[in-house]
Amino acid sequence: MQREILQQTRALYPVSLHGVGLSLGSADPLDAVHLRTLSELVGAIEPLFVSEHLAWGSVDGRFMNDLLPLPYTEEALRHTASRVRAVQDALGRELLIENVSSYLEFNASQMTEWEFLAALAAESGCALLLDLNNLYVNSQNHGFDPRHYLSCMPAARVREMHLAGHGVKCIGARQVLIDTHATSVCAAVWELYAAALEHLGPVPTLIEWDADLPSLDVLVAEACKIEQMQRLHRAVAA
Amino acid sequence: MPSLHELQRRFAAALFDGTDASAAADICARGIDPAAALGIYRRQLHETFRRALALAFPVIERLVGAGFFIKLAREFQAAHPSRCGDLQRIGVPVAAFLRDRFQAGPYAYLADVAALEWAYEESMAAPAAAAFDARELAGIDCAHYAQLRFALHPACRLASSAYPVLQIWHANQPCSPATEVIDLASGATRVVLLRPGERVRFHRLGEAEFALVSSLASNSSLGVALDAALQADAGFDLVPVLRRLVVLGVFTGATLPLDARGAPFSGLAPTAPHI
Repeated sequence: MQREILQQTRALYPVSLHGVGLSLGSADPLDAVHLRTLSELVGAIEPLFVSEHLAWGSVDGRFMNDLLPLPYTEEALRHTASRVRAVQDALGRELLIENVSSYLEFNASQMTEWEFLAALAAESGCALLLDLNNLYVNSQNHGFDPRHYLSCMPAARVREMHLAGHGVKCIGARQVLIDTHATSVCAAVWELYAAALEHLGPVPTLIEWDADLPSLDVLVAEACKIEQMQRLHRAVAA
Repeated sequence: MPSLHELQRRFAAALFDGTDASAAADICARGIDPAAALGIYRRQLHETFRRALALAFPVIERLVGAGFFIKLAREFQAAHPSRCGDLQRIGVPVAAFLRDRFQAGPYAYLADVAALEWAYEESMAAPAAAAFDARELAGIDCAHYAQLRFALHPACRLASSAYPVLQIWHANQPCSPATEVIDLASGATRVVLLRPGERVRFHRLGEAEFALVSSLASNSSLGVALDAALQADAGFDLVPVLRRLVVLGVFTGATLPLDARGAPFSGLAPTAPHI
């Protein structure tokens, strides 16, 4: 049934297929069944983009079905790049890789998240899906300048952007931002979006709001804001 | 430096098994206790799993209550952690888990309710397919009907129970009244699930009808399936039942082995092709 609904949608609109289950950064072997199923779906839907996350979610065959952050090491970079290449070879097309929200970092990391992401794109030939809410959440949780992260992104490789809302959790005296997709996009992320339009151009942008859904007009208003900002960017750039 | 595999193994152990010590030493969270940072992911692990289970088994959640459902989900996840990236697959062993969990006690019926809910999920997720057209039988010599094998529609599922599980299912939908007393001894359930359009439909079957379809579903020939139905009911009348099943869309096709040279099928009258 879900397939038919997707095919009906595809007949009317371009579709961006967004995966969460490939566990690209996992040390486990790639799940051949999952990849084959994805490949069949891509063949049937012919989407505009196919994307996955810079994350892992399984080890030793046990899946956590979450988008867990990687240690940003040389080993993880080589491993993830080879897996991205394998997926791109299997699908016969470019994959977009998205940055994820994180609430901790690995001591073993040898580079920053933005250095890892840019190096992954260079080594694997993948494109990028930049989630500005995830970028902002991490900048607050880990203490870096989100604009610097943005400026390090290879503009020619960013094909899509995501915006979303987040929640705040207090742990002791600290506040941790949690990616929830359950509320409106905050002002700081909208500001980051304006900066991203400058640096990356008006690429297709999605509002991710898939929990505690608002009334449709609230969601439509957020989408309209994207359109307005992109139109303004084009007018100024012209 | 620990390898990627070692870091991930320790992280997963902290989440699943609560053995934080080594994983906590691997991470930092800008002044937050590493155990608390791992706790964020541990809560997500259990909450994501529970939500996915509740989506597939809303009737079970309503029957046992949200609080006990959380406890059941944790027990189930410990025994049957997700084994793939597709969370929709975690429901496969739920009925067997509940059967083992509640044994023959007063909640033994929950396993059969779960089996019905999973059949519903599978029917919903199955691809669409054109139903079998009985006119395709026209070219087949009815002497060979006993050897026909029917392909069941991909969205067709069967469910049976000693309990009135379909009544329980209907009484526990979001729009159902809050209270309805159902006597667990009020009768068995035999049902076929089909999805002719966007919605799954339930159709009750008699004991012999269910025996026939179950046998056909396990790829038995029509002759063998008829024997199963006749065992359940010596007075079973095949033609109207087969006609009903075809009209409902239970089948997508019928095939005859190329070397079919069996004895004439005595259970089918010469008019049988016109089902």
